[in-house]
Amino acid sequence: MRPNTASKLLIICSLFYLIIGVSLGFVTAMKLLWPTVGEIEILTFGRIRSVHTNLVMFGWLLQAGMGLIFFILPKLLHNKLFSEKLGVATCVLFNIATLGSALFIFAGKMKNIEYGEIPIPFDYLTVVCWIMFAINVFGTVINRNVKYLYVSVWYIIGTVIWTSFVYITGNIITQLPFITGINQANLTWFYVHNAVGLIFTPMGVAIAYYIIPKSLNTPLHSHKLSLIGFWVISFVYVWTGAHHMIHGPISYWLQTVAILFSWSLIIPVVAVITNFLGTYLATAKDKRYLGPIPKFMYMGTIFYLLTCLQGPFQAIRTVNIITSKNDWVVGHAHMALLGAFTFFAVGGIYHVLPRIIGRKLYSEKLGNIQFWIMTLASILFFGILWVGGVVQGYFWHNLNGTFLEILKMMKPYHTIRFVSGSLLVVGIIIFLYNIMETLWGKAQELKDVEV
Amino acid sequence: MKKPAFEKNLFLLGMGAFLVFSVGAILTTIIPPLVDHTFYQSPYPVHTYTASELNGMKIYQANGCVYCHTQQIRNLKEDQVRFGWRLVEAPVSQSWEYVNDRWHFLGTKRTGPDLARVGGKYASSWHWAHFKDPRNMGEKYQTQNNRFQEASLMPNFYFLSDGQIKDLTAYLQTLGRNMNWRKGQSGEYLNDYEN
Repeated sequence: MRPNTASKLLIICSLFYLIIGVSLGFVTAMKLLWPTVGEIEILTFGRIRSVHTNLVMFGWLLQAGMGLIFFILPKLLHNKLFSEKLGVATCVLFNIATLGSALFIFAGKMKNIEYGEIPIPFDYLTVVCWIMFAINVFGTVINRNVKYLYVSVWYIIGTVIWTSFVYITGNIITQLPFITGINQANLTWFYVHNAVGLIFTPMGVAIAYYIIPKSLNTPLHSHKLSLIGFWVISFVYVWTGAHHMIHGPISYWLQTVAILFSWSLIIPVVAVITNFLGTYLATAKDKRYLGPIPKFMYMGTIFYLLTCLQGPFQAIRTVNIITSKNDWVVGHAHMALLGAFTFFAVGGIYHVLPRIIGRKLYSEKLGNIQFWIMTLASILFFGILWVGGVVQGYFWHNLNGTFLEILKMMKPYHTIRFVSGSLLVVGIIIFLYNIMETLWGKAQELKDVEV
Repeated sequence: MKKPAFEKNLFLLGMGAFLVFSVGAILTTIIPPLVDHTFYQSPYPVHTYTASELNGMKIYQANGCVYCHTQQIRNLKEDQVRFGWRLVEAPVSQSWEYVNDRWHFLGTKRTGPDLARVGGKYASSWHWAHFKDPRNMGEKYQTQNNRFQEASLMPNFYFLSDGQIKDLTAYLQTLGRNMNWRKGQSGEYLNDYEN
């Protein structure tokens, strides 16, 4: 098989789930304005909401990340992917698992685990895919032609190991018959939090650690910061699951532990961000933001910083009273997965895909337009969710208004959320058009450029 | 600066990443139930679900009700008052109340109200009308119609069969009954969950 076949296939498949996933998000936003839209069983809010999160997280982000890693890893290790055939088989099985789970969730077959709705047998199949992915990663690292492992490789190895435990805990152990009630809830939030923190964060950071220095043609700012960022995040992230149940029916000390460790998360995040921004600052001013790739990586970095600063503050007990259980949480979750990691993945795909197929990106200009639409729309989207959330939080706190009256007040916020969300879909469509023209359309052959 | 050994040794890197991670993983997942036994057993009697109620629980799960309705009265005055009943404050949810919940629905988002203590608050016929069309509950509940018509965002569950709505309602009526808290006119605790 030709080199990078698996990488290319995974990336192309992930784009399919990206557009389906965001379209379903569009429908859910619509239902908050007109609850009777699409009033059929399979499009009930609870179901499309679950398919939306599953497709964007696993179909899109995880799959795109696997594809990018299959390209980045051999580049860093000066060799070839351990097995292209295994990679393609991983892709095929993973798509069966993702499509199958979406269909099952539409039909109402889902688990009670947030982000882990994917039912049996597809969650088990995902585990099999992950083992296949792990074999490929480890095989490639073992067969390397360089002595030292670059920081991206550390994060990729971390992702492979942590994801295995986090995913199995959330999807399989929570479903054991003796795991009930609060015990199950504790494991659920261990999974929910670490799905973002120990699957998508190290994956996204690994990609950014490769793409940022590469696209700026500048060496990484600091090796020491890389070390601090990696080892501190691998220690502190996993402790924080219980901060999803602050004031809730779970041991007070466990909540306190989660709050303290939420604060310690600032250390690795600031280390990583300083490293990224330091690399930007070391680049000549006129070359820092040329084309869509450095732009997406830069904005992804900023969103990563903001989302990880929000986390610790939300975890403070008094702040949590206002920000929990309302739209604020939705804004926070979207800034991590849509703001930070989707931006990293988009930047990564713009860098990687043209190099795989040997053709230039169809249009840098279109990429820039997509960047500005997505950036401005997402700032509006996150912002309105936070403002709406805080307003709702304070009105809930004031016991004079009824629940329904306060819900009614949310209409303008839901309207702006719908409009800005629609703009994000437009941005995604431009992205897909650009990629399709690059793949099959009028894009030029890539010559004289280092592949 | 001399590079640390793990940077050229895959085994050291992998084991290091695993061990450092496993400290927090063990201390936040396996240890808490060993320290706090109310995670899995209750010092007080807890309602055992009937077949019909369990079926209702599955319908609750299949339609993603948890994404708009939490099931936890947090240790906050506002939760206790807002989700209370006729000026009686709802008791704060305790971890032992959930031990019989094969599937938990604590939830993270309140697009709709919390349901932890909804059992007994509304008649089953109210739930019936509300599931069929939350924005138009018919003659009997006309007074509530106007408020719900304008603001409610709940989907119509017209596609559930009569039997399914019955089971779902039976499940909802169990919520919160592990603590007696609603008082009748003469001060006695009410146990009218099956109405």
